[in-house]
Amino acid sequence: MNEIYFNIDAGYLEGIVRGYRDGLITAPQYMNLTQCETMDDLKLQLATTDYASFLQNEPSPLATSTLSARCTEALVAEFQYMQQNAAEPISKFLDYITYGYMIDNVILLITGTLHERDTHDLLEKCHPLGFFDTMPALCVATTVQDLYSTVLVDSPLAGYFRECLSAEDLNELNIEIIRNTLYKAYLEDFYSYCQSLGEPTGSVMAELLRFEADRRTVNITINSFGTELSKDDRAKLYPRLGNMYPEAQTKLARVDDMDQVKSILEQYSEYKIMLAGVSMNASSSSSGGNSSGDLSLEDRFFAKEVQLNKESFEQQFHFGVFYSWLRLKEQEIRNIVWIAECISQQQKDKVNNYTAIY
Amino acid sequence: MAAVRDNVFPTRMNLTTTKTRLKGAQTGHSLLKRKSEALTTRFRAIVRKIEDAKLKMGKVMQNASFSLAEVAYITGDISYQVRESAKHATFKVSAKQENVSGVLIPAFEPSLQTASQFELTGLGRGGQQIQKARAVYIKAVETLVELASLQTAFVILDEVIKLTNRRVNAIEYVIIPRIENTISYINSELDEQDREEFYRLKKIQGKKKDRAAAAQKLLDESAKQSINDGNLHAGIGAGDESSQTEVRDILAEQADDDIIF
Amino acid sequence: MASATHKDRTLIAAIGDEDTITGLLLAGIGDIDIHQRPNFLVVDSKTTQEQIEERFTEYTARKDIAIILINQHVAEDIRGILDEYSAAFPTVLEIPSKDHPYDPSKDSVLKRVKLLFGD
Repeated sequence: MNEIYFNIDAGYLEGIVRGYRDGLITAPQYMNLTQCETMDDLKLQLATTDYASFLQNEPSPLATSTLSARCTEALVAEFQYMQQNAAEPISKFLDYITYGYMIDNVILLITGTLHERDTHDLLEKCHPLGFFDTMPALCVATTVQDLYSTVLVDSPLAGYFRECLSAEDLNELNIEIIRNTLYKAYLEDFYSYCQSLGEPTGSVMAELLRFEADRRTVNITINSFGTELSKDDRAKLYPRLGNMYPEAQTKLARVDDMDQVKSILEQYSEYKIMLAGVSMNASSSSSGGNSSGDLSLEDRFFAKEVQLNKESFEQQFHFGVFYSWLRLKEQEIRNIVWIAECISQQQKDKVNNYTAIY
Repeated sequence: MAAVRDNVFPTRMNLTTTKTRLKGAQTGHSLLKRKSEALTTRFRAIVRKIEDAKLKMGKVMQNASFSLAEVAYITGDISYQVRESAKHATFKVSAKQENVSGVLIPAFEPSLQTASQFELTGLGRGGQQIQKARAVYIKAVETLVELASLQTAFVILDEVIKLTNRRVNAIEYVIIPRIENTISYINSELDEQDREEFYRLKKIQGKKKDRAAAAQKLLDESAKQSINDGNLHAGIGAGDESSQTEVRDILAEQADDDIIF
Repeated sequence: MASATHKDRTLIAAIGDEDTITGLLLAGIGDIDIHQRPNFLVVDSKTTQEQIEERFTEYTARKDIAIILINQHVAEDIRGILDEYSAAFPTVLEIPSKDHPYDPSKDSVLKRVKLLFGD
């Protein structure tokens, strides 16, 4: 039934987003980009892409930070165009996507408030997708207490804050733990929202969000080795969804090293391949600079993410394409910036370490 | 030679002391010269090392900032977070000293506390990259610290060498010539005095001879006369004779006066 | 000579662009003392030359700083002060930044080296 009415509200936007998808940089274009010798060359090559209009007015010695900012602008412009044209329930869905960025922004502002910095400067640093109306009001708050009681409760994130954190927690907990707690709540909420949208959005998004949850679980596990984060706290940060929830998560909560993680992930065919060549790399990561040839775990996750997001375009009449497009576009910006960094820092031998999309 | 010299009395005593000073200055000069040479050798080695290290630093820093680019690729911008979580330095330096020819050259040593403020940064994503970048940067900062020690050594040595060279030159071109001038001055003055003395002694000796000859003559004459007188007034007696002796005594005294200076 | 005081100098101060500072802080040099003074300064397009000069002078005067790291392109802005600075403590070290590779011919210390050896 859904399919019949889908195009009434979402047809235009789906057309737009699929059009945007075709704007993504393709393999031959990547080839050209990686061949560039200077940043000017790179700029010239990018003139044939969707980023052209955002880069043409930049003065010639193009810094990678500027490049990254401009590309993000391009992404934001496209996303906002869709948001403006969206009707319920897509607009709600798109809002949900931005919550993730809001978490980052709020965390940034909390960090600033905790250190009694002028939070106005921080607004510029916030991710534009994570902007919400009451966010400038966060700057008014001078103490974390104020922040919590007056401002955060009005933000779209209020629910997540209420559920997992008290005002005291903001002061005491490590900011990273707050971030991950919020993100976990967000993922769970987003997941259940997607399920409420019915098929096929539910199943497509479930796939993507499960992957996201699994990635976070693995990352949190690996990154908490040898830190002050206790195993119980670690378990609390795992999102309660994903292919590994709950049995693998309970196991992961207790492991101490990479090999144990590996043996747990062995049971999951999709992750087994990923970890195959990685364990050595990750445990010796402290030696630094050996990433030239083999891919790191993160790279493999990126590759997997790209693959899943590409698959979501194979289906029609669902909202997952918006999410997937955003993720792919983000990956593309990362790729461009990566290539730019390699060029500007003369590390051309690593230039091919990006994760190609098409 | 416009002789600059110490203002001393040209005496033998002063000559001895000045000669001792000359000896001292010469020893000091050769010692300082040797010190300066030792320092310069060290200095040149350091300069060479600095040049190498500066170039190496270029490479190391490039690697380091590239590792940060890797973090940015995975995690996004972490700069603000990192900046705000800085509270107490875990990477400090401690200074130890090295003695090069009596010059204390400080050398910095990195002292790293194991506790990391950033161990939870990037927990959800990119934590490994951040730790990796951290390791790379720690290495880079170690290189920088090493370079900083070299540079401090460079600055201090530069100063000390300048100072030492100034001293060496001062001794060589001012103090030693002055002492030498003083010595030659004293010598020439003493020679002059010797010659004057010698001349005077000669003169006096001549005078003395003349006087002695004159006195002898007088004596001879008076002796002759007294013989004649004696012949004339042989019976005058002792009183007359004593008065005559007195007369001769007075003469002798006068001659004595002349001799004594 | 400063041999009596340099034992207390344990900190590394840094003046530089965002990426450089981030990296150095990641290594753990960051310190904020009891007067809330940080030992690092992020120089961006909004930072004025006076601010840099002021901060540099502050760091050279502080007794707990052993080394001052400064990005070369930032150093260029305050070259006058830097060339005049000749004290051994704290040591000023010019470091390259991401967008500005290291140029030995601009380095104050290397310039002195060149001067001394007359080539």
